[in-house]
Amino acid sequence: MSDANPAITLTDEAGNGPRVAVKMRGIIKRYASVIACDQVDFEVRRGEIQGLLGQNGAGKSTLMKVLTGVITPDAGSIEIDGQQVVISSPQEAGALGIAMVHQHFSVIDALTVWENVTLGERTKLDKSGAVKAVKEISARYGLDIDPFATIGSLTAGQRQRVEIIKCLRRDPSILIFDEPTSVLTLAESEELFTTLRHVVTAENRAVVLISHKLDEILNATDYVTIMRNGVVVAEAKTSETDARGLAREMVGRDVSLRGEAVALGLMHAAEQTAVTDATFDAEELQARPIVLDINNATVTGRGGVKLLDDFSLEVHRGEIVGLAGVEGNGQATLEKLLMSLVPLSEGDVQVDGEKVKDGRPGSMGHAGVAVIPEDRHEAGCVLDMTVAENLVLDDLDRVSKGRLVSKQLIRENAQKLIKEYEIKTPSPDTPMRSLSGGNQQKVVLARELSRNPKVLVAAQPTHGLDVGAVEYMTNQLRAAAEAGVAVLLISTELEEILALSDRIAVINEGKLMGVVERNEADLETLGMMMGGQAL
Amino acid sequence: MDSITSILAGTMRLTGPLAFSASGEYVAERGGTLNISLEGMMLSGAFFGIWASDIFNSSVAGLIGGMLAGLVVAIIHANMSHRLQANTFVVGLTLNILALGLTSYLLRVIEPRGVQADNIDIPLLHQIPLIGESLFSNRWPIYLLLIVAPLSWYMVNRTRWGLELRACGEDPGAADVTGIDVNKRRRQGLYWAGITTGLGGAYLSVAEVGLFNQNMTAGRGFLVNAAVIFGGWRLVPIIAGCFLFGGADALRLQLPALGYDIQPQLLIVAPFLLAILAMCFFAKRNVQPAGLAKPFERGVA
Amino acid sequence: MTVDEPTTSEDLLPVVMGPKTGDTRAKGILINVALYAICMLGAVALASLLVILTTDASPFDVIHALYLGSLSEPAAIGRTVEQATPILIVATGLVVTSRAGVFSIGPEGQFLIGVVFTGMVIFKLGLPPVPAIVLGLIAGAVGGGLWAGIAAVLRYWRGVDVIISTLLLNFVAIEVLSFFLNKTWLLQEKVNKQVLPPQSPSLNESFRLPRITIGGFTTTSGIILALVLVALMAFLGMRTRWGFRSRMLGLNPNSAQAAGVSKVLVGGGSLVISGLFAGLAGGVWFTGVNPRVVLGSGGTMPGEGLLTALISRRNPIVIVPVALFFGALRAGGLRLAATGVPSNIVQIVQALVVLAALLPPAILHVAERRKAVKIAQRAAAAEIASQEKVEVAA
Repeated sequence: MSDANPAITLTDEAGNGPRVAVKMRGIIKRYASVIACDQVDFEVRRGEIQGLLGQNGAGKSTLMKVLTGVITPDAGSIEIDGQQVVISSPQEAGALGIAMVHQHFSVIDALTVWENVTLGERTKLDKSGAVKAVKEISARYGLDIDPFATIGSLTAGQRQRVEIIKCLRRDPSILIFDEPTSVLTLAESEELFTTLRHVVTAENRAVVLISHKLDEILNATDYVTIMRNGVVVAEAKTSETDARGLAREMVGRDVSLRGEAVALGLMHAAEQTAVTDATFDAEELQARPIVLDINNATVTGRGGVKLLDDFSLEVHRGEIVGLAGVEGNGQATLEKLLMSLVPLSEGDVQVDGEKVKDGRPGSMGHAGVAVIPEDRHEAGCVLDMTVAENLVLDDLDRVSKGRLVSKQLIRENAQKLIKEYEIKTPSPDTPMRSLSGGNQQKVVLARELSRNPKVLVAAQPTHGLDVGAVEYMTNQLRAAAEAGVAVLLISTELEEILALSDRIAVINEGKLMGVVERNEADLETLGMMMGGQAL
Repeated sequence: MDSITSILAGTMRLTGPLAFSASGEYVAERGGTLNISLEGMMLSGAFFGIWASDIFNSSVAGLIGGMLAGLVVAIIHANMSHRLQANTFVVGLTLNILALGLTSYLLRVIEPRGVQADNIDIPLLHQIPLIGESLFSNRWPIYLLLIVAPLSWYMVNRTRWGLELRACGEDPGAADVTGIDVNKRRRQGLYWAGITTGLGGAYLSVAEVGLFNQNMTAGRGFLVNAAVIFGGWRLVPIIAGCFLFGGADALRLQLPALGYDIQPQLLIVAPFLLAILAMCFFAKRNVQPAGLAKPFERGVA
Repeated sequence: MTVDEPTTSEDLLPVVMGPKTGDTRAKGILINVALYAICMLGAVALASLLVILTTDASPFDVIHALYLGSLSEPAAIGRTVEQATPILIVATGLVVTSRAGVFSIGPEGQFLIGVVFTGMVIFKLGLPPVPAIVLGLIAGAVGGGLWAGIAAVLRYWRGVDVIISTLLLNFVAIEVLSFFLNKTWLLQEKVNKQVLPPQSPSLNESFRLPRITIGGFTTTSGIILALVLVALMAFLGMRTRWGFRSRMLGLNPNSAQAAGVSKVLVGGGSLVISGLFAGLAGGVWFTGVNPRVVLGSGGTMPGEGLLTALISRRNPIVIVPVALFFGALRAGGLRLAATGVPSNIVQIVQALVVLAALLPPAILHVAERRKAVKIAQRAAAAEIASQEKVEVAA
């Protein structure tokens, strides 16, 4: 991609090009005082993969919700294949041939593939028909799957295939993919793009690919529309753009690709970072004492499935170890283990040389392990309590006078932390629910760090945050490491891992695949390990 | 030998109400609703069954009346909990109290005399030694179970309605995204439970006993909840659980007649203790529908 | 980046309808009150209809009888308070459990076991009055606590649902009481009859809870105990670490466990506490309300305590008037025989009232859904706005 001319040009209307499948014009959608979509024009042509690029909160999800009938716009028009339409429900969108493959799947674990594929239809239940359809679509698009398998036993990549088959069964003319590669290995992502290409060219359908990752857009799309703050800021033919230009339009200013590789989803830039930015050299780090020592940890789940399988990992003082892996390979279990939420079947966890009682509520916390969980709503905070209360959840002794909890001490603690971490909240007594995602994350971070932990576990810490918040989090993690905390970063985003880690470990099906030094890490090796091939 | 026959016969009779109800609750729980108003449904079915048989002078009318009574209770429960989102346990409990109060009240005020269903002896088969009498010489409504239970199974496992119902029980969020009206399916599951449980209650009063006593179900509705858990949400083991509890009840009635002098309280308590033990040691919790007892509302986590 | 709006399905009586988008606080309260009024009237109307259709009496006869029995004179008020006392104690304990997120239907069984224990201590230990009563009440509490403890053990050891186990244990408790009342070496009264009735001797005057006179009416001193317990529970719940942890557990069990809250200790402990209260209520009932243990002691009282707690769940202050209401119904019910209307009408009214009380929040909740979505959108807007600030700053 040429660095020389970063200017982006608009596409020219093709007189006799591919047929326009979707033409959205002047779409406006307001929420209270904020405009999510401001006079948005969006076009998708048959036989093409149209990218929709933008940060979290740029308005791309809103736009697609309008197209799929989940939201009604305040103004604007939609044409499908040249016909003016009004889409007021998902059913109507479906009738028009619009289908969406969701980011968080809508397949049901306890049912089989064929049952999931036929769910949602209105006809009489026809097992053999459904099975036949699955096999047929499977073969046609190269989406290999067993119709009788139970979803619960499938990997994330396979589940996505079921999701896609479900979608294709309805014979849609317009398919929308929302951040599809977040749960896939590199190899699976490549396969997906090939499938998309096939779907689009061989069958003259239209595909929209929503993403915030530049790599994805550059690799897979023909055209790209870029949104920022609810407005379409640029449209381009992908082959005529490059990473720098896309980044500039997406964020609105010139961007250091290296520095913000994490947020931009730029794999290769991230790969090159940190090697030169390393403040500590590898040997020095390894010589430091081990703070977190996980030895042969095994956690058995329902039905005897090993969620963690003989897993061992060490984190030294002041080091950042990045644990990479595709979602669903045991990271959640490891996180729960370190939050004292699940017990070990075998093995142990030691902090500073002392064994920690697994599964006993609060034991990890007492031992000095702080965790920023992936889903803060589930286990990181209590939404119905106030911000001030959430800032002291695990350390009530600190804010007690005798046997009673002191409201005054809670308040003082809250005010101190709100200031220190720049948490945006109307008051310390605001319910946690009312805070934005980024600020909720700050509350969790503030609480965990305020206990001066020995170990900090951060799971998907920048998930769903915008560029600014991502920068903030990554700086905080680096600062913690510099202050001597042993940091374990669990993430499915390789960019994040590459940008922050001193050493990189890979987990697959609950097992450790291998650990590599940062400066020896390359995408190919990591990709192989994430796909299941041990080092 | 005679004693075994009596016990078996008693088991069949006392399992009846449980099995009818369990067939319906099986359907309801596969949809994700945990239903503690079964006791109220059964008691209502028992009373209104007797009353209806009195008014129309027919045991068939009684059975139908019972089914309708159970359905009414279910309609109230389903719409308050799975349309208006009121807490389902509070609603269920209150309906039980309402049913008890209302049926006791009406009993005193109306004093209905029921028409009991006839006994049927299936030719030849009922003469088989030992089991013949208990299996093939019964009040005729028990044989309705041969329709109700398989029908319930078929509804859940072989129809589209059942597939959608199961989806609502396992993952209501995903089911909703796929376009299924989760709360509607759950309500429908409850309606079926109401009909079968009402039938079970009517069976108890119209077929078995021939009249209505205050609070005649005495907690049997809750035994059904235990049976569903014990049976791991699969119909055949659930019915087996019903037989287990029914058998305990039958033993209670027969043992004194057989000359065993056991504390009466112990015998009355036996089915309940058994249910508790069964849930302790034989319940397979990991096959529970994942969305069981979790209320669903679109857009609310 | 989703924001979950608060689920109000759990709140049966929202304390105050806070300012919602576009509505003023006053308007919210007005709508609330109006809805409750309509629903309650509906409940009363249904009950009246039943009376009209099935008896020669009129609904007014019934209401008059209820009034006579509960509020018409000091003696009646005394009876109301007396009947409300055990209800209040049961409800207080249940508020503790529901705060921790545990749903127990066990007060009936725990109450009965409490009655048994209290009866045994007072009749069998031969102590002088004051120690007998005190020890008896403590024993009653212990009995109820143990009974609840069984359910707790079943829950945390074998994963048995608290709802089902407490329900089943209720029926077991009924038989335990029956057993004790049929053995003269236990609680059964020895009288000169062919067939001994299953009941205990009547409690001697000196062994009953003292009566007190407040503002003109005389009632059991148990009410003082009950009120003290309510205040204690409210205070401890708000101010102690245990109370805080209990709230955490009820609101988000995972976060609670990560923060060191043991669901066995806090959750199970709450369950046992509710048992202690229910058992104590049984003792208070025996020594303060009805001084003879019979089959079906207490009748529907523990159930009414449960309903009281359910209606007032998030608000301890509401417990007292609601308990008094149920107490009034009970006291009034004693006068119904004269009207020819079966006393079961009281149960029917109670159930209808509870159902009616469930309707307004449920209806409002469904209507609020749209507004709740706006709250979520506001937060989404806040997210976008905070990004804008970052953008500008960058």
